[in-house]
Amino acid sequence: MIIKAAKKYWLEVLLVTPLLAYLLGFTLWPIIHSTIYAFTNYINGDFPSLVSFEAIITNFQFKEAVFNTLFITFFSLFFELVLGLGLALLLLEKFRGRKFFRALMLLPLGIPTIVVASNMRYIFDTNGFLNEIFYRLHLIEIPINWLGGGILTLFTVVIADMWKVTPLVMLILLAGIESIPKEVLEAAQIDGASYLRRLWYIILPFLRPFITMALIIRGIDAFRIFEMPLALTGRVVPVLGTFSYFEYREYGNIYTSAAAAAILMLMIMVAITIYLKVVKQDEVAL
Amino acid sequence: MKKIIFVLLMIFAVIFVLTPIYLMVKISLSPPAEILTAHPSLGMHAITLKHWKAVIASGELLPPLSKSVIVALMSVILSLLLAIPGAYVLSRLPYRISSALLLFIFLVRMIPQIEIALPISVSFIRLGLLDTDLGLALAHTLNVLPIVTWVLVSSFKAVPADLEDQAAIDGCGKIRTLVKIVLPLSLPGIVVAAIFGFLGSWDEFIYAIYLCLANKTLPLEVYYYINRASFFIASAYATIITIPVIIVTYVMQKYLKSEYLAGAVKG
Repeated sequence: MIIKAAKKYWLEVLLVTPLLAYLLGFTLWPIIHSTIYAFTNYINGDFPSLVSFEAIITNFQFKEAVFNTLFITFFSLFFELVLGLGLALLLLEKFRGRKFFRALMLLPLGIPTIVVASNMRYIFDTNGFLNEIFYRLHLIEIPINWLGGGILTLFTVVIADMWKVTPLVMLILLAGIESIPKEVLEAAQIDGASYLRRLWYIILPFLRPFITMALIIRGIDAFRIFEMPLALTGRVVPVLGTFSYFEYREYGNIYTSAAAAAILMLMIMVAITIYLKVVKQDEVAL
Repeated sequence: MKKIIFVLLMIFAVIFVLTPIYLMVKISLSPPAEILTAHPSLGMHAITLKHWKAVIASGELLPPLSKSVIVALMSVILSLLLAIPGAYVLSRLPYRISSALLLFIFLVRMIPQIEIALPISVSFIRLGLLDTDLGLALAHTLNVLPIVTWVLVSSFKAVPADLEDQAAIDGCGKIRTLVKIVLPLSLPGIVVAAIFGFLGSWDEFIYAIYLCLANKTLPLEVYYYINRASFFIASAYATIITIPVIIVTYVMQKYLKSEYLAGAVKG
């Protein structure tokens, strides 16, 4: 049976193997190595050992990095979802220049993250444009130090991230809204259901799987956030990714760096597990 | 009333999207006196090409620009070589198997890059691949390959199976069918895949910062100049990276489907 299948499909297997081997090799092999580093004692080379984990867990910068990562993820997801839904609903309406508006809204998706960080710096700098606008509107006298640290700086990262990825959320939700049968919405309208009621009772329930999908896909991306806080705030806002990077590049410690990466990996694996469960459920539902 | 709210929201959204891009271009064209003050000007008053001339005259633009282009081309070519045969098979497999494999490819993109970049950069030191074009292209291929594969699978699927059956009856082997029939018919899809793949390497940052030391790519140059607080040079470099991306995204926006970007929304 197996031999028969092998004889019949040897060409297919041969054609698909390089692709899968490359992807598997360039993920599995590094992950194994990274995990070995993470569990190696960086003082005497013992394996397995939890020394690296103990070292980073007691490091206050690491605690800050975990807090910042979770904070940024939570708030950027929240705002992106609200804004993305708003934009998708706007695009549902028919109006002149709808195509142009859609193209304009998709623009940030194409801008490299490092460029977004650089642009946001002009806005949030102490002598930047946001302070200037606030000053001209007589809202402030003394410039606000947006990038100096604390909650304010975390929110600048959230806003910068939001600027870049809201279009992606919008696209996913728009695909969802367009999958709603037109007759259902028209029927509700004829029956006199108000806009809010239609939104609440028809559009949102239909969108539920798309919202979940957007949340998980974006959530995983937000956990991995790297160049945005790095370039926008320097070392003021450490996140898990940049913490791991600095352990390696600045302190030359691959072991603590790998330990931090392992914790990030663990967070993402939890998110992926939830994702796979959701995908399965939706397939059953479809 | 409803209409007014609607229009106001749209105006706000447009301003929100365009302001950062406008500022980037404006700063690269503004005299320092307008920007480096407590009260920077909002409009474009005096336009100067000083920073652009400085960037071009410094001779420091060409090495990162060519590195970015070479690395992106290398990863696109490698990705196409790996993905064309692979995606062809995937597009002909039964749905259950192919969707499982595509999901696996999708999951590859979700692994944190630092988890991969760290051990790779350690062993690239040993292999002499650190700070080389090839080394970075090998890493970027990991980014580019999933994008290319998705686009190719969906464009191969669009080629009618009848054509292939016909070719098989005429005694055409599978490889010949792929080369002579499927590839020419899906040429537009291959071009789309190559362009999106190119962008996947063009603006990549994390692998680049782990695997480059002296020979930087364009995104690393932007980071370098931001760190030195050289606003003008940084904005010029940022504009250079952005221009091709904006053109491509605008021209190709009909291909910007959520399935390509987010992986398969339906798994």
